[in-house]
Amino acid sequence: MPDPEKEFAEEWRDAAYNCFSSGHKFCREVCPVMQVTRNESWSPTAFHANVVAMEKGELEVADVAADYVNCTGCGACELRCPNSLFTGDFYRFRTRTVDLVKAVRGLAVEQGLHQPGWQRWNLLTDERRHEPVLGATPVEQARVRDWADGLDLPIGGESILFVDCEAAFHRTSVPRSVARILNLAGYPFGLMNEQWCCGGPAAEMGYEEQARRFARHNLDDWRAAGVRRVLVLDPHDYITFTEDYPKYFGDAYDIEIVLVVELLAELIREGRLTPHVPVERAVTYHDPCRLNKRKGVWREPREILRAIPGLTFHDVDRVTQWSYCSGGGGGLPVEKPELTAKISEQRVGKAAELGVDTLVSACPWSERPLSEAGAARSIDVVDLHELLAESLGVAP
Amino acid sequence: MSVLIGDPVLDELRQILGPGHVLTGKADRLNRARVPAPFPVHRWAERMPDLVVLPASTEEVAEVLKLANRLRIPVVPRDGGTGLTDGAVPLCGGIVVDVKRINAIREIDLGNRTCTVGTGINALKLNEVLARHDLIYPDDPASYPCSLVGGRIGTSGWSLIGSRYGHSRDLVLSFDHVLPTGKVIHVGDGIGRKITKSSSGYQLKHLFMGHQGTLGIATEATLKLFPRPEAEFSPFWAFEDYDSAYRAVGALARAGVATFAGAVLFDEWKVAYLRRDDEAYIPQPSSVKALVCAALYGYEDEVRAGGRRLMRIARSHGARYLGDEISEGDWAARHDRYATPLHGRTRSGQVVPMSWHCEDASINYTGLPAVRLAWHEIADRLRRESDVFDDWGMFAYTNGATGADYLTEIDIGIWEQRLDDTAWEAWVRAKRDLAAVSLAHGGSISACHGSCREGEVDLVPEELGGGYDVMLDIKRTIDPNNIMNPGKYLLDQAYAEKS
Repeated sequence: MPDPEKEFAEEWRDAAYNCFSSGHKFCREVCPVMQVTRNESWSPTAFHANVVAMEKGELEVADVAADYVNCTGCGACELRCPNSLFTGDFYRFRTRTVDLVKAVRGLAVEQGLHQPGWQRWNLLTDERRHEPVLGATPVEQARVRDWADGLDLPIGGESILFVDCEAAFHRTSVPRSVARILNLAGYPFGLMNEQWCCGGPAAEMGYEEQARRFARHNLDDWRAAGVRRVLVLDPHDYITFTEDYPKYFGDAYDIEIVLVVELLAELIREGRLTPHVPVERAVTYHDPCRLNKRKGVWREPREILRAIPGLTFHDVDRVTQWSYCSGGGGGLPVEKPELTAKISEQRVGKAAELGVDTLVSACPWSERPLSEAGAARSIDVVDLHELLAESLGVAP
Repeated sequence: MSVLIGDPVLDELRQILGPGHVLTGKADRLNRARVPAPFPVHRWAERMPDLVVLPASTEEVAEVLKLANRLRIPVVPRDGGTGLTDGAVPLCGGIVVDVKRINAIREIDLGNRTCTVGTGINALKLNEVLARHDLIYPDDPASYPCSLVGGRIGTSGWSLIGSRYGHSRDLVLSFDHVLPTGKVIHVGDGIGRKITKSSSGYQLKHLFMGHQGTLGIATEATLKLFPRPEAEFSPFWAFEDYDSAYRAVGALARAGVATFAGAVLFDEWKVAYLRRDDEAYIPQPSSVKALVCAALYGYEDEVRAGGRRLMRIARSHGARYLGDEISEGDWAARHDRYATPLHGRTRSGQVVPMSWHCEDASINYTGLPAVRLAWHEIADRLRRESDVFDDWGMFAYTNGATGADYLTEIDIGIWEQRLDDTAWEAWVRAKRDLAAVSLAHGGSISACHGSCREGEVDLVPEELGGGYDVMLDIKRTIDPNNIMNPGKYLLDQAYAEKS
């Protein structure tokens, strides 16, 4: 076994045994990939067991690199792990399957083992500074602020709004809604001077060197402009800025990261925003995995929905939603779009059972696959920020 | 890969199942070589199948078995792979038939209150759907969030609330079963799919449950459903000594309360084990040496009345009620609480990740105290022999509503990272000794998991006596070429005798 693999197995061995020894597999039925494939090789348990096998010399990363594609990074498995669920983090040894999957993907790339779709995606991202979310249509640095045309937003300032690649180039109605709402509330903010992709997707697919380069650029850009606070509307960015960047930059990283959904709920609570235009829709809310399962953010989106007049809100509790996912995360739609589509179909099917006409999400990356699945069932997929803007009379 | 499984066989399997559902990768095979039963990790490779297939229908399973039977290739069925015996662990390589894709809900029959499902479905997921009809399928093993219906059939599983609703054998009405030859039969009471009682012919349903994959593969099952209970009451009581707790649990189980779903006795070793995470959970004073809990399900008025009666009985045996919060929380955590690897301790107190073995004998009520002491002695010997073993204490659960016998469980932590041949041999010897104690007290080696694990399996012929010879005859008749899960239950000798 090559040395980096040996080092990797040594680093992760005890954590892997903690899962292997438990043997419960309670993670399995909440795992979105497992639910649609029923293939035990792609279960969180297998991802840990493989490390035990690597340590025993039974496997090499080349044997399993492709298996680790099959994870959306939703974090459901960690929540459902009896090792974590029952004792919490009493032993400071919480199950960290998402980190493990990222680490294996990183190790694979380090060994020159590439997944073709991911390799192409990250090459293009590296060239264009943004993810190729428009397929054949190139994304360009010059157009990263096009979504804000006509909004007269300043560049720089103490607080800036960071817009992820999907929202900046594809679902532009989301950042436009956010900008209009913040303006309405009189909350001052600007745009970034030279925004690059946050680097999170590269890190998730194993391209950590690239991810660090992008992070370095963004942090330097913030520093140069005197930015103190970054407003984030995308849950994936929120993870990157609150988990990856601190890991890259340590104590020197002193930027305050504000999740827009939390900010908007606060502004409503303080009376600085009052939704008043009735929105006549029967909705249910899709808890974005990275908010609900990984960050424990589930109250504020519901608070916002309950503040919008006219809505009939069929809520499904956050724990039930541990097993829901759009399939849009962790690079899965890049490498295995057919699995993303199945996961989204299943999620929309759950909404259909409630008899709603609208599925509200708060994650731009979930909205494309969910919209595609929703179209087949005549269910609209609407972003929470868009819905709030409508009710505030500032539709994008 | 064995010589039997060359390219032509792979091609044929791909024809049957589609290319994506025949897996030959090393990780695919390694991950289907083990279950949570104690496992000699250092000998993992010996348990590897040659390949894995993921069929989607009864027909595909039948075609795979026909092929395997024709070519004499061993077949091991695997469903959840959550068993605490090693029925799903291949001992002779061959093909693992993993049936998780057969998981559709085919029918919910509200008139007859049954449902028909693929055996790859999980009961928790099924109950999410049944909840819309205010119904439940009350098969509630410790592995409730992950075990699958087919595995429950293959092991003839045991349910935590079986005293109220019955165990898997009572809850599964009938099923499609693929014989080792590939022939598909339907077994139940009589021919009916939804019949709960028939006296027509032999009672084959029981024969094809609990065989650990040695007699074929169940693919579609019809299950009995119940109204979703309106009320649950799960009192936990503390005792200052084991004997009082033992007398109390007996009295509770014998009380004949109709909503009684089960009672559990935790001994002082188990209480000490649970204290290992007291800071994270709910502390109890050191005077607490044993615990008893009971569970009742039904309509609110009947649960309330039954609960009052059980509270009276418990108090008259010196019980101290632990309160609603602890009782409800502890019962709600019953699936997650079984074992936490980090409760493992070496003799010096070092925390190490340990796997758990749970001995699961059926012992009559009157035998419980003696079995308990003998078992702890064996666990103590193991611990003295090697630091990879730890005594995690004992439970006794009622098997049924009258309190005749109990699933009697000693949990032993095993530090698998450090297992070697010497420790494994000590383990197998201990398994044999634990089983011998059960038999010496008129019990059965296994209430729920099956008794084909190394060590204990040597005593199965002794337990079943003449019945074991019948088992050999049946095995030979149904599986003439010994393709189904060869090596299990010492059944290979059926063929040695023949030759």
